[in-house]
Amino acid sequence: MQPQLKSKVRCADQEIVGEVSKVIMDPLSHEVSHLVVSMNGRGERQVPMGAVQAITHDVVQLRSSASEILRMPPFAREEYVTLHEVEIPGLERHVHVTPGEVLVPYPELERNVKRRTFFANLTYVTGLFIGLPLVFPVLKFLMKPMYASLDNRWLKIGNIGKVKTDDVGVQFQYKRKVKEAYMPEAEIEKNTWIVKATSSVLEKVYQEKDMEFRDAAGRPIWTNKKDMPYLAFSGKCPHLGCAYKWRKHKVLGQVFLCPCHLSIYDASGKVLDGPAPRPLDLLPIQVSANGDVQIIDMEFKAGTKSQTRIV
Amino acid sequence: MNDTPASGTQPTVAEKVFAFVDERVGLKLLAAKMLNESVPGGSRWAYVFGSILLFIFIMQAVTGVLLMFYYVPTADHAYASTQYILHDVDYGWFLLSYHFWGSSAMVLCVFAHMSQVFLWGAYKKPRELIWLVGLALFALVMGFGFTGYLLPWDQRAYWATTVGVEIMDKMPVLGDFLARFLKGGATPGQMTLSRFFVIHVMVLPAALIALAGLHLFLFRCAGPAGPFRGTPSELKAKTDYFFPRQIWKDVVGMAVVFACISAMAFWEPVVLLDEATPDPGDYHPEPEWYFLFIFQHLRLKMFSGEFGQFLGSMGLPGLLGIMLVLLPFFDRDPERNIFKRPLALIGWVVLTASILLFTVSAIINRDFLD
Repeated sequence: MQPQLKSKVRCADQEIVGEVSKVIMDPLSHEVSHLVVSMNGRGERQVPMGAVQAITHDVVQLRSSASEILRMPPFAREEYVTLHEVEIPGLERHVHVTPGEVLVPYPELERNVKRRTFFANLTYVTGLFIGLPLVFPVLKFLMKPMYASLDNRWLKIGNIGKVKTDDVGVQFQYKRKVKEAYMPEAEIEKNTWIVKATSSVLEKVYQEKDMEFRDAAGRPIWTNKKDMPYLAFSGKCPHLGCAYKWRKHKVLGQVFLCPCHLSIYDASGKVLDGPAPRPLDLLPIQVSANGDVQIIDMEFKAGTKSQTRIV
Repeated sequence: MNDTPASGTQPTVAEKVFAFVDERVGLKLLAAKMLNESVPGGSRWAYVFGSILLFIFIMQAVTGVLLMFYYVPTADHAYASTQYILHDVDYGWFLLSYHFWGSSAMVLCVFAHMSQVFLWGAYKKPRELIWLVGLALFALVMGFGFTGYLLPWDQRAYWATTVGVEIMDKMPVLGDFLARFLKGGATPGQMTLSRFFVIHVMVLPAALIALAGLHLFLFRCAGPAGPFRGTPSELKAKTDYFFPRQIWKDVVGMAVVFACISAMAFWEPVVLLDEATPDPGDYHPEPEWYFLFIFQHLRLKMFSGEFGQFLGSMGLPGLLGIMLVLLPFFDRDPERNIFKRPLALIGWVVLTASILLFTVSAIINRDFLD
């Protein structure tokens, strides 16, 4: 039990020496550390809680005698601040030192309200009533541009005359028109890598089988013939989607190298080193009699072992 | 409280205004509760980072709002408007560069703040909730860095976003949806820019203000942890209030940080690369320096292949995140002295050292790429 303000203070010699006028709290332990006792007109004394023997509802019984209490140092108000002038977290929750209850009237209308829980739950239900119907429209609103249909048009990217040497990566830069939502039609720059492959490289790529490309519904779009020497690789590294380059490597010779995470591929697109999970992605390619190169500009999800087309 | 004017003198206008407001909102009480917070064991320089973070955030908000007076978040004008800010608008280069270096300062101070809390054992009971909200704030700061990086719409921006979103794509089940949700499609474009913009200037600031408020509220509920050494009587003997000694230290810290950010903005102003396009030319993509260690460790052979990549980009960072979340609930030992918590000390040193190591090796690696 914590001491009450205005409690009478009784000493060991059964004398009432005064009453509790203030209580001092310890800011670290949150316990009452001292009582300030108003000594019936003989000033105030600061009494440590150690000197308290027992606390009842209106009397504080001390272990010391009245004369001992009187010999204690007088209470120095300037060494203390009130709870209102300082922030000590949780302290107020520990203080039960009250001279009695502080009351305000309880409104008539609140006195016999039944079904409080019902009304509390009603607010949640109303919240759900407003919120739930919004979930689907909001989600659809935000998801509008997420899944566009794939574009299987052929795109002219340059002339094959640029490719002079066998088994060497040659970059073809091209522009692609994009029309995004409300934006005016714009051109973005992209690139693809073309390799004129020797038969050994071709075999590595096609393993004696033609490569068939299908659309989302599974209908065939195009077949890369296994003996057609030109390979077109998507310019996007299958590791995390950076753009790779044709570079000279100290040990591996001429290779495709991605500067982001250092994946290395040979001219057939096979992974030689680095973190890439699959070979470079081949694109549908046509080379016309006059040397015009056309591709279907596809992009695949990076970082997966299998190919998932996203563009 | 001795704010009342001495008797006999007429109150000045300022005093009258103060008294008017005080009568209505209890200003004196509020000021007392705000400023007279006991700091057990006394103020310290180690405690300045929280206040500094608040200061950096306010400066980022101010410079960010100023930048929005000219910036246009569209694929055809974002780059041009950013260049306009840099080259044509008076002091635009400084405000943009301040905003840019401010984000670096933010990340550094978040690291310092979290390290201080970790090493002091200040996440332990009863401060678990402050730690949890702090972790959420850390995620928001990283989100700010990631979304803000795209907005200038130059090559650096485009590729950091491309790779960053691909990393997110590796999340199991939700990855593909999240990546498309962020990009607003299959590849970065106008939709991505719109989304990153609104997340950067509306969603994240609102979340940060709310969570920072909660962070401070929870901090006030639990109070400062104080030093990890010292008996109660020693702590009490050194206790002072938040004002003036701690606030003085905080203010000095803010001034130093302001000077550093300004100096970086002055000597290393932002220079844009070419406008964003899916063909990087000769540019070697790289994220901002505070993401470099993740970028570099993904180059390791052990993180190759589909599973390795999941491990490197999602598994390990996710595991670290989960460990940080669970930390205060597993580490129930009330001992806060870092020198008596060898596992915690070793863990911190190893993590910090490996972040440094990977960051430095990413920087060294640059030379081998040209």
